[in-house]
Amino acid sequence: MTKHLLKLVWNRKRINFLITVEIFFSFIVLFGVVLAAVYYVDNYRQPLGFNYENAWRVAVEMNNRAEGSHSSQSSQTDINAPKEPSEKAEPPSATTFKQLMAAAKEFDEIEGVATCTVTPYGDGTDTSSIGDDSNPIRYGVSMVSDDFPQVLGLTLTRGRWFGKEDDGANYRPVVINERLSRDVFGDADPLGKELRRPDLPPKQEEEKSTPMRVVGVINEFRKDGEYTAPDNFLFRRQLLNNQMSREPNALMLKVRPGTTAEFEEKVIKRFQAIAKDWSFEIEPVTKMRETANTFRLAPLIAGGLVAGFLMLMVAMGLTGVLWQNVTQRTKEIGLRRAKGATARRIHKQILAELIIIATFGLIFGVAAVVQFPLLDVIGDINSRVFSLSIVISLAVIYALTVICGLYPSWMATKVQPAEALHYE
Amino acid sequence: MKKALAYARATDTCVSPKSFFSCFFVLFVDEVFMLKNYLKIAFKVLLRRKFFTFISLFAISFTLIILMVATALFDNVFAPQPPEDKADRSLYVMGIRLQGPESQSTGPAGYVFLERYVRTLPNVEKVSIYTTPNVVYSFWKGGKIKSFLKRTDGEFWQIMGFRFLEGGPFTAEDEKSANFVAVINEATRRKFFGDEPAVGKMIEADGQQFRVVGVVGNVPIFRINPFADIWVPISTSKTNAYKSQLLRGEFQAAILAKSSADLPGIKSEFESRLPGVEFPDKREFNTAIGGADTMFEFASRMMIPSQQMESQPRKLLAIIISLMVLFMILPTVNLININVSRILERASEIGVRKAFGASSWTLVGQFVTENVLLTLIGGVLGFFGSQFVLKLIADSGLIPYAEFHLNYRFFVYGLLTALFFGLFSGVYPAWKMSRLHPVQALKGAGGSR
Repeated sequence: MTKHLLKLVWNRKRINFLITVEIFFSFIVLFGVVLAAVYYVDNYRQPLGFNYENAWRVAVEMNNRAEGSHSSQSSQTDINAPKEPSEKAEPPSATTFKQLMAAAKEFDEIEGVATCTVTPYGDGTDTSSIGDDSNPIRYGVSMVSDDFPQVLGLTLTRGRWFGKEDDGANYRPVVINERLSRDVFGDADPLGKELRRPDLPPKQEEEKSTPMRVVGVINEFRKDGEYTAPDNFLFRRQLLNNQMSREPNALMLKVRPGTTAEFEEKVIKRFQAIAKDWSFEIEPVTKMRETANTFRLAPLIAGGLVAGFLMLMVAMGLTGVLWQNVTQRTKEIGLRRAKGATARRIHKQILAELIIIATFGLIFGVAAVVQFPLLDVIGDINSRVFSLSIVISLAVIYALTVICGLYPSWMATKVQPAEALHYE
Repeated sequence: MKKALAYARATDTCVSPKSFFSCFFVLFVDEVFMLKNYLKIAFKVLLRRKFFTFISLFAISFTLIILMVATALFDNVFAPQPPEDKADRSLYVMGIRLQGPESQSTGPAGYVFLERYVRTLPNVEKVSIYTTPNVVYSFWKGGKIKSFLKRTDGEFWQIMGFRFLEGGPFTAEDEKSANFVAVINEATRRKFFGDEPAVGKMIEADGQQFRVVGVVGNVPIFRINPFADIWVPISTSKTNAYKSQLLRGEFQAAILAKSSADLPGIKSEFESRLPGVEFPDKREFNTAIGGADTMFEFASRMMIPSQQMESQPRKLLAIIISLMVLFMILPTVNLININVSRILERASEIGVRKAFGASSWTLVGQFVTENVLLTLIGGVLGFFGSQFVLKLIADSGLIPYAEFHLNYRFFVYGLLTALFFGLFSGVYPAWKMSRLHPVQALKGAGGSR
């Protein structure tokens, strides 16, 4: 039966070739959109790690970033504060930050306040890596003050958050997420260990600097929100004293539920009075989340719309072509009817032929698509998401072709044997 | 079949040329008459096959809409349009990458860097230095106004051709003596003063007071260099710290060359200066990478990942074009499919026409007219469709002050592509069929394979 159908398909190879090509490209286009959608849904279902409700971000611009003060901004090694004697004077910005935090706590509407260098849904990122240069383990970093987990509702799974007990210690306390712990320590307990690859000798600069010691593990912290892939993250302790190595660039406020936007002006006026030269920008994290997610989803929505219309166009085109095929084959179909084929069998024949043609296109489509990870066209998308997207796209294309074939094949069943005989 | 016969009679009874030349001659003489007839038939045929006509029109207009929206978005970012009206001899230093043994940082440069290495470039008519736009708040009559504020110099207004609705720009003199003056855009004027004129009035932004000296039309947010809501002199900054910012800061520069022929020289001069940059702390950073770019070159620097952050405009263009072609393939294959089917379906009509003495050329003329007509209708639909979609995007407020223009050049390209494939897939099979013997054509022999 299949052999016979293949022969029938081959007999009309020119028109069938065009249909195959069309199905091939439809599959590629659909796969692109489905892959993005599945990727986003997969990310969305994983825990975010923090609570954005009632959190406000106050971005702080100090307007005084002269070269001297920001040379210490990004490198890791100069945070060897405990080695230095404490005769260094406290930088004025640290004093101002402490005043700002104290002022924030005076408001009844503010339940908690913390500093950070990377804000959730914010633009800035800060990454670092450990391990050898050829295969480093990368992670995002934020320096935060001790109250940060309360303000953003982080969940500790192991150990503790850093705090006063780490003052003057000969290590730098860090809190990492489970993912980073797994990448670095495997199944071993990371608590109390130095953060470096156990299987590698320490790098030169790691030797020089004060070691980072893991004091706690959180379940997750996805800085860029629910649509991005979960990534490694590490929190370092922000010191606001003479050992401050880097200035925070934002304050996170936890406000009482129901606090309105009018309160923003009060906060800014108060802050402005404390730090006359600084600029402040205040925004609820829920709003930042909305903006960030809109920009992340907009390309997918636009792509989805375009792909949707393309599929509609292909579906209509396919229906037209199949319809035409059937009208052309009146003779052949009529003859089969005259020889005793039932309407049901004709129906089946037309659909089976169509599925064979579609399968050809899809084989090439899948063959093309599996090259993507090999050619490294798409980033780090895991194989589960990838194969699920292939399955969904295949199902959609098959469904689409069958739907397009329904009406023409129904028409074919209406062919009367007499019509066919009348032809000759 | 009956209908086909009727059409055949309508057109062919008066024409029976035997040779190529006579055929051509008759076509020429009866051009007007024939064209009218062709159009009439084409319309009838299109109406008779409503479903096929609808699919073709949908495909053509939809493809055109996507093409138009994509090019309009592209133009909105890259094409030379006001206020960047001297784009053909402008370059920008929008960011530099600093590399050190352990860290790297990419972002706008410091004020001193631009003063030292850009302001002094040879063959340059003017250089302007400005900050990236900052979000600032104004507390105004009990409400909060959010705006983007850019600090810049007097040259800025001479490099960019802003359209002033009121007043004029601030000058280099204002910048030198740190006058608290501001130019605002139309939207900001409305937020502060409603419909009243703004020049001479005071506004508050980020806790500072400015006197408005000019009002300009809104600039779309994607015009990264000129864009802002409020422009004020750099010297009104809250502190003087920017004057000691060497490498990293929030400043960008626009360079206006004397002529576009000087651009390559300026680019290479700037790049040759980078190895000589003095680093205050070589343990932090010891290499600076960057360039004086057009917008597109800068985009290629940022978008195509590479260690040295090279500008690869050709590569970016190739990526964009291949994406475009990939998108166009599906509608094109669809169009070919539909056209081939349509023609096959009309095999018997062609046979009848042949039997009544229509030449291949007459038939080809008819199918050409049909295809051109179809493409033109699709083009008109696509034209209005893209206007509609662009307006929808502009009104959605997703892109502040978005201002879209149809790119007519690409519109014509799109139409020509549709026409080419229409002719190729609709007329070529028809022509081949018309060469068949009428009897064969009547039996539909041209169609089965």
